[in-house]
Amino acid sequence: MPWNLDDSRPIYLQLMERIQHDIVSGVYQPGDKLPSVRDLALDAAVNPNTMQKALSELERSGLVYSHRTSGRFITDDSTLLKKIKTDLAQEYISSFLEQMSHLGISGSETLEMIKQTLGGGDNETNS
Amino acid sequence: MLGKLIKYDLRASAKIFILLHAAFLLVCAAARLLVMDRLDFHAPAETLIAPITVMLVLGTFLISALSLCTSLLITFRFYRNLFSREGYLSWTLPVSGTTHLWAKIISGYLLAALDMIIIYAGILLLVTGRNVTAAYQPVAPEMAEAIGMPLSSFGLCVFIFCVIGGISSVLLIYFSICVGQLFPAHRVLCAIAAYFITSFVIQIAVLVIMAALGMLDYGTGTDTLADEMFSLLVPNTIFALLLCIAQYAAVHYIMNKKINLI
Amino acid sequence: MRPILECQRLTKKYGNFYALSDLTFSLDRGQIVGLLGPNGSGKTTLIKLAAGLLVPTDGHIMINGLAPCTDTKKIVSYLPDRNFLNEHMRVRELLSFYKDFYENFSTERACKMLDSLEIDRHMQLQSLSKGTKEKVQLALVMSRVADLYILDEPIGGVDPAARDYILRTILTNYDENASILISTHLISDIENVLDRVIFLKSGQLALNASVDEIRTQYGKSVDVLFREVFKC
Repeated sequence: MPWNLDDSRPIYLQLMERIQHDIVSGVYQPGDKLPSVRDLALDAAVNPNTMQKALSELERSGLVYSHRTSGRFITDDSTLLKKIKTDLAQEYISSFLEQMSHLGISGSETLEMIKQTLGGGDNETNS
Repeated sequence: MLGKLIKYDLRASAKIFILLHAAFLLVCAAARLLVMDRLDFHAPAETLIAPITVMLVLGTFLISALSLCTSLLITFRFYRNLFSREGYLSWTLPVSGTTHLWAKIISGYLLAALDMIIIYAGILLLVTGRNVTAAYQPVAPEMAEAIGMPLSSFGLCVFIFCVIGGISSVLLIYFSICVGQLFPAHRVLCAIAAYFITSFVIQIAVLVIMAALGMLDYGTGTDTLADEMFSLLVPNTIFALLLCIAQYAAVHYIMNKKINLI
Repeated sequence: MRPILECQRLTKKYGNFYALSDLTFSLDRGQIVGLLGPNGSGKTTLIKLAAGLLVPTDGHIMINGLAPCTDTKKIVSYLPDRNFLNEHMRVRELLSFYKDFYENFSTERACKMLDSLEIDRHMQLQSLSKGTKEKVQLALVMSRVADLYILDEPIGGVDPAARDYILRTILTNYDENASILISTHLISDIENVLDRVIFLKSGQLALNASVDEIRTQYGKSVDVLFREVFKC
């Protein structure tokens, strides 16, 4: 299944994000070996050179490291993983809040609505 | 590579070639059994003229048709393999233009020569019945004297010249197609024009050369038919071979430097 | 290392019409390059010059440093934009034909591809559908272990499912030292597979950039940029 990529941003960036997401969400466990560039490229249906670039960038960020002979592994540095997870979550929240403010819903109202949704179905049926 | 090219050339034309020539031999065999063997040469001449004339006309027609078909087979193979869409594959094989040309010359000439051998065999099949040879026996010395050698040897000589001449007819076909190729807008038309213009020019040239050398002078009358024929065939064959070299040079140049598949 | 393909002031005239004029660029090894341009922009002419089917009017085209010749034909695997095979041949005969003439042809690879496309090797080419013929042609071309693959409209005539398979095939069989030049106008289908693109406009180079450069610089996909550059 080709990965879902959008049209306007560089492909390698989107590949990085996708792999990053897979790592923090646990598709790949810390310390796991990543599939080869070729396999990842085939899976994503993208150019192997682009996949290579995305992985090199991830290496620079420290999220993956390469063993000269045995391939690429995911870091088991849990503080780094946690930080990236928090960063990602932060990103989602800010983009969500931005969308809510576009709808004209204030911060406190949004918070209220979130609480209601999290509180379960009861509140919704009563209101 | 040359051998492989020839193999595929021959394989491509084999089916139709074998079919046509087998049919020809079959017709010859049938004519021998059904017509020739039943001719009674002791019968009065008037009754013989009609069947022999019919056989002669039909035979000539059949042989011309067979030669034409073989020429067309050679023509189409060359054109389709190198200048139609199939040329996109042929010209991207790791094979030089010269190798392509030699493959086509050898495979084309093999077919042309085989065609002539089979035609010769067909004629032999027709005229070697016992009644025919028996009827010919009494006039044989007379004929041999007129010709200058026995009829069978004479036939063999003509055959050998034909087989040698075959090379020039094959090259003329290739030359014409290559010249036509130089005019991308009208490739087929220009090829046909090149064929007729070249054959016409060659015939005129042969006449002019022979006239210049005094060979058209039949006045002496003392020569036998064989002498006459050879005095024509030998220079003709030499001329044809020279022409072959010129045509080969032209085709070689076009196939190595001027390939433009559109 | 020498560029795999190099054009220097390459010009091709048909009569008075310039199909290509003064084209200069080079392609490095190990890249998948899209050759894009509207109809009549000179894509096929450029490809045929590289394959050695046409002779340049002026300038040079070089493959691995050599003008097209027997040696370059050994390392170039070319897919023309039309049916180029003898229709009377059977698929298995074509396999042995390719094996006979190309040292770098892998029968095993071809058989694997034909099998996964469910093509019967005993069929005559003329009895196959148009799309199936195209698949056979591409399978033969991609089964050579070549340095440069030149594919002229490889996905034009096949259905979207086969298109995906073909793109996968191209990616699977491609190794780091090989280069692929693909001409197409189905840009969005192959955009993710390309390293860079070359835009041709009326026989001249309009753009030569990597896909991610284009996305970074213009903030839009190659497909969208193409539609803007060549707006009628």
